[in-house]
Amino acid sequence: MRDLNNEGSDELQAKLTTMIAKTHLKLTRRQMMSGAASAGLLLATPVSKAFAQARVTVTEGNFQPIPIAIPNFVPGTQGDNEVASGIAQVITNNLKRSGLFAPIDQAAFIERISNIDVPPQFASWRQINAQALVTGRATRQGDGRLKAEFRLWDVPQAQQLTGQQYFTSPESWRRIAHIISDQIYERLTGEKGYFDSRVVFVDETGPKDRRVKRLAMMDQDGANVRYLTRGADLVLTPRFSPSTQEITYMEFGQGDPRVYLFNVETGQREIVGNFPGMSFSPRFSPDGQRIVMSMQQGGNSNLFVMDLRSKSMTRLTDTPAIDTSPSYAPDGGRICFESDRGGKPQIYVMGANGGAAQRISFGEGSYSTPVWSPRGDYIAFTKQGGGQFSIGIMKPDGSGERILTSGYHNEGPTFAPNGRVVMFFREAGGGPSLYTVDISGRNEQKVPTPGFASDPAWSPLLS
Amino acid sequence: MKIDKTLAASVALHVLVIGWGMVSFSTKAFESMPEDSVPVDIISADQFAKAMQGMKTGKKENPKPMVEKVAEAKPPVDDAVGKIEDKKPPVVTEAAPPPTPKPEEKPVEKKPDPPKPVVENKPKEEQKPAEKKPDQAKVDPIAEALKKEEAKKPPKPQQVKATPPEPQKQKAERPFDQSKIAALLDKRDPSRESITGAALNSQAALGTAKGRAADNSATWGAMFRQQVERCWKKPYGGVEAQKVEAVFTIKLKRDGTLETMPVPLPGGSSPYFRVYQESAQRAIIECQPYNLPAAYFDEWKFFEPAFTEKFS
Repeated sequence: MRDLNNEGSDELQAKLTTMIAKTHLKLTRRQMMSGAASAGLLLATPVSKAFAQARVTVTEGNFQPIPIAIPNFVPGTQGDNEVASGIAQVITNNLKRSGLFAPIDQAAFIERISNIDVPPQFASWRQINAQALVTGRATRQGDGRLKAEFRLWDVPQAQQLTGQQYFTSPESWRRIAHIISDQIYERLTGEKGYFDSRVVFVDETGPKDRRVKRLAMMDQDGANVRYLTRGADLVLTPRFSPSTQEITYMEFGQGDPRVYLFNVETGQREIVGNFPGMSFSPRFSPDGQRIVMSMQQGGNSNLFVMDLRSKSMTRLTDTPAIDTSPSYAPDGGRICFESDRGGKPQIYVMGANGGAAQRISFGEGSYSTPVWSPRGDYIAFTKQGGGQFSIGIMKPDGSGERILTSGYHNEGPTFAPNGRVVMFFREAGGGPSLYTVDISGRNEQKVPTPGFASDPAWSPLLS
Repeated sequence: MKIDKTLAASVALHVLVIGWGMVSFSTKAFESMPEDSVPVDIISADQFAKAMQGMKTGKKENPKPMVEKVAEAKPPVDDAVGKIEDKKPPVVTEAAPPPTPKPEEKPVEKKPDPPKPVVENKPKEEQKPAEKKPDQAKVDPIAEALKKEEAKKPPKPQQVKATPPEPQKQKAERPFDQSKIAALLDKRDPSRESITGAALNSQAALGTAKGRAADNSATWGAMFRQQVERCWKKPYGGVEAQKVEAVFTIKLKRDGTLETMPVPLPGGSSPYFRVYQESAQRAIIECQPYNLPAAYFDEWKFFEPAFTEKFS
């Protein structure tokens, strides 16, 4: 008797039908049972389409920084050692300070990278639990330029994620490092980076009662500090133009303060205008063509816009109150500003051409120095109440208010170009210093400056 | 041909019932619901056996748990009552804050039952988690409080990471023989799965109070989840975590390593989604080999982990 169980399913079915069809064949009970059992088995064997795969949902886990390994860049020639390791250091520092990456100590590395054009030994990087790896090379070219290349590797998947090469003058090696940092940041977080940018601030030196305040500019990591004014006169509220070549600020010259325009590259400066009154807190419009500022007349202060080409002034607000500290939305359509028309200083939003203003701050305390994020999704402000100065953010409609840091005394927030980090200054220990904090409230870091520093303003990305 | 009428009827009805069972479930992937997680302790099979038997013996042999990636060596426990209140193994709390309850409680409940015919066992096991669920929901998810409560309850719900068949086997008081037990279990598996297959629609016959499909994804799913979360460096999505979901299909070998690279299912095209998906993919690859119960290999050899921010 044939053993039906060993045959394929199709053949089986055929055999069954033939068996039953051939009436002259006597079907013994045993055969019938085996046939039925096989049929049953057939039905019982899992048909993969009919089964649904089990789905396991993974939601737990707090955000954690990505462990990343950044070995020193390979020097292309003997003389490139300093630049090669310098670039790796700047990248490591940038990524670490962002709080989103955890660079692994170089002492733990197992493999020495000597050639970046071949894949690294991923197993040895997996061993130290690196999830990403950056390899690079710096080579001085024959024509004097510096060539910098890098590759970003995904260690568990053993593949390259991105790679680039740059040519620049040798003095700009730090900028290359910042640009590479931005590339890595963007590839691994999905957000645009902010490392290739500068910060202009007021540098303060001297005893507290006779402070010398100079306009200063530096890279966002504290390097390359330049002084833009000599400190003879008081300077306040420097702000970057969206094109990054110009800074606008206030300086108390002979008596009345004036708004100035300073060209970073040429070093030249010009007066924005001669106004019969005090003018405060100027800010550029996103297209760089206008400056909005507040002007004081009598006891009031109102907002005005000046077109830089035609030098014509337009009044935006006309209230018997103090309207000041205006800031454009990134699309240029609206302005947020601080006004005490309701009693205490609060934040208002109105159209860029003036008109009705809506109040958006409603918490306990007074709100000041609003600044609109370059992404348009938040407005940062200084909040004062209960003896505390806090830096906070809220959505442009006033909802979602969140305090990032609190204490005595924090003031003057400014957004990084990607809208994810806020820099402010805090008065502590004899003088003010600059700090950055993530908009989630995490990762507060001090920004190194030569002396005391206040009133920072973050430039857009330089590249 | 002579065919017994009753035989024909019997065969026909069997084929009908089984066939109906095979085709009547939906093909939608069933979600394993996120259970309340509770922290648990790991004890060796030896300690567990002693707890069950209620005896103190002088000699403690701690059979090394298999492929134990994360548990720390637990000192043997004398106490018959099984007050397992030692410090929790770091695995439970590494990535997540300590009070986060882990979904071990439910599958754990099934273990202490002595090996019986599977069909009988299932309804009982399913009932227990259903009963226990309301209790745990009230319990403050602080590790110590939970442990104390667990220690009081008669079935000792402590065994999770080590292979579940071990305690059952110990209770039966046979000499420890892994292969024998494996053979035993393997023999039972097909029959269990055919029943499971037939009941993928929520069959009340299995006695689950919630009426969910009866498979064991709650058990091994929770174990997989906890192990992969350790490696998962979630990308920082800004202040509001964007609602993305990265789903993969993965194939595992018996030893818990990946058979192939995880295959991402399409889900989105934003740069943030890609970063999210890559981070999950790295996590899946980094955290292998996965220590999952061999008994349910047929379920976890091919499944879909879904990484998401949604807390459904």
